Amino acid sequence: MNETFVVEILLVEDNPHDLELTQRALRKANVTNHLQVARDGAEALDFLFCEGAHAERKMENAPKVILLDLKLPKVDGLEVLKRIKGDPRTQMIPVVVLTSSKEQNDVIESYRLGVNSYIVKPVNFESFAAAVQEIGMYWLLLNQPPQLEE
Amino acid sequence: MKEINDLKAALDEHAIVAITDPQGKITYVNDKFCSISKYSREELLGQDHRIINSSYHPKEFIRGLWDTIAQGHVWHGEIKNRAKDGTYYWVDTTIVPFLNDDGKPRQYVAIRADITERKRGEEEIRELNTQLEQRVMLRTAELETANRELEAFSYSVSHDLRAPLRAMDGFSQAVLEDCAELLPEEGRHYLRTIREGAQRMGALIDDLLTFSRLSRTPINKRQIDTAALVNHVLTEPGFKPDSRNIDLRIGELPACVGDPALLKQVWMNLLSNAFKYTRKREPALVEIGCRREDGADVFFVGDNGTGFDMRYASKLFRVFQRLHRAEDYEGTGVGLAIVQRIVHRHGGRVWADATINRGATFYFTLWKTMS
Repeated sequence: MNETFVVEILLVEDNPHDLELTQRALRKANVTNHLQVARDGAEALDFLFCEGAHAERKMENAPKVILLDLKLPKVDGLEVLKRIKGDPRTQMIPVVVLTSSKEQNDVIESYRLGVNSYIVKPVNFESFAAAVQEIGMYWLLLNQPPQLEE
Repeated sequence: MKEINDLKAALDEHAIVAITDPQGKITYVNDKFCSISKYSREELLGQDHRIINSSYHPKEFIRGLWDTIAQGHVWHGEIKNRAKDGTYYWVDTTIVPFLNDDGKPRQYVAIRADITERKRGEEEIRELNTQLEQRVMLRTAELETANRELEAFSYSVSHDLRAPLRAMDGFSQAVLEDCAELLPEEGRHYLRTIREGAQRMGALIDDLLTFSRLSRTPINKRQIDTAALVNHVLTEPGFKPDSRNIDLRIGELPACVGDPALLKQVWMNLLSNAFKYTRKREPALVEIGCRREDGADVFFVGDNGTGFDMRYASKLFRVFQRLHRAEDYEGTGVGLAIVQRIVHRHGGRVWADATINRGATFYFTLWKTMS
């Protein structure tokens, strides 16, 4: 895997259909370059903390935004969020929870852990595509991240 | 002397009587004592009361009794005894010590009354209470389990049931976008129908979850300015259709007590129904108000819309029950079920009155007090 380029979006999604639809929506918005996909929580953590299959990666090349599903195999989304926001090396990376769950407990817990946005995936594809495109536009283009000293 | 004899005869009719010497040896028993203890007089005389000891009372109890009477005080209490045949009986007992000139007990006279039946009753009540408590605990635990299961179920519905719908809708749309020219109009129509079905099911799931969540969320009652609440609902952007000519009449709305968020939902559902079912009226008339009936405030939302057949009124408030076709008036059939559940949770009542093509009016009351 070529890991020299900077990953802009880390998409953590286990459902292949949702994954394809999200990729399609991003492609339509021309924000598909530099997309890294993790299919479960453990893979996401390996990528973010440069462990396991991603041991060669550099921590400095952090993604600009993480799109995180909550219900994931192995390590669930809330646990991934907790690890990201609990580690000084990753806590500044914006995390957008992109999930099917409207359960208030999930929303509250995500915000308690420091999520930057919480988006419920709509069933309607136009709404879904619009949501994904707006997330991409906002976090990749509009948002001004802190300049970290190397 | 005759008086004393009469008194003794009457006492023997009523009470169980025994006399013991200072050491506790039985020196006299009356017939009632013999019949309740099932011992003969010969078997009892010369014995002490250990002969009818039930071992029910702790040592301290018996010691307390003896200490009291040995010091020349009257003892009163309830004692469980054991009869000769092994059965038990309860006696309400008074023991009176009679003293010598030097102040030492000369003899003890014990008068007792049979209270076995009363004790059995008390025992039964105690047992029933214990059983009831256990049953309540068990039922509570069952309910808690059911509630947890329901929560897990709706969590899973919330997470897992929407994803396949998104796939149906999304990939149908992908075909429409990418391969539209390969498909005849019929094929495109079928794909749009698939999308409609998926989206409708999505809406049904959302409404069902909202509905099921209603029974689990706690109610926070407050004093509510009803007029302000209704105004708040009506002025929410996009809530009231501006494009239509709607004659909106708002009467006096007294304050009420309830959960503001939930009651807002009630007004929203009733008002959006009124707007929806007057769509074909020109002008549409929607009337909001309150009238006093039997000391209760009855709030109402009435319209001159399409109404419904009162024969089906009982179905109105059931989940997924609709009295109109989806192609005429969109909806999932959950709105009024939500209204009813909220009103019921407030201890109130909701009902409707309608005439086909003339309009419908929905009424509800709320329980007045804060508790």
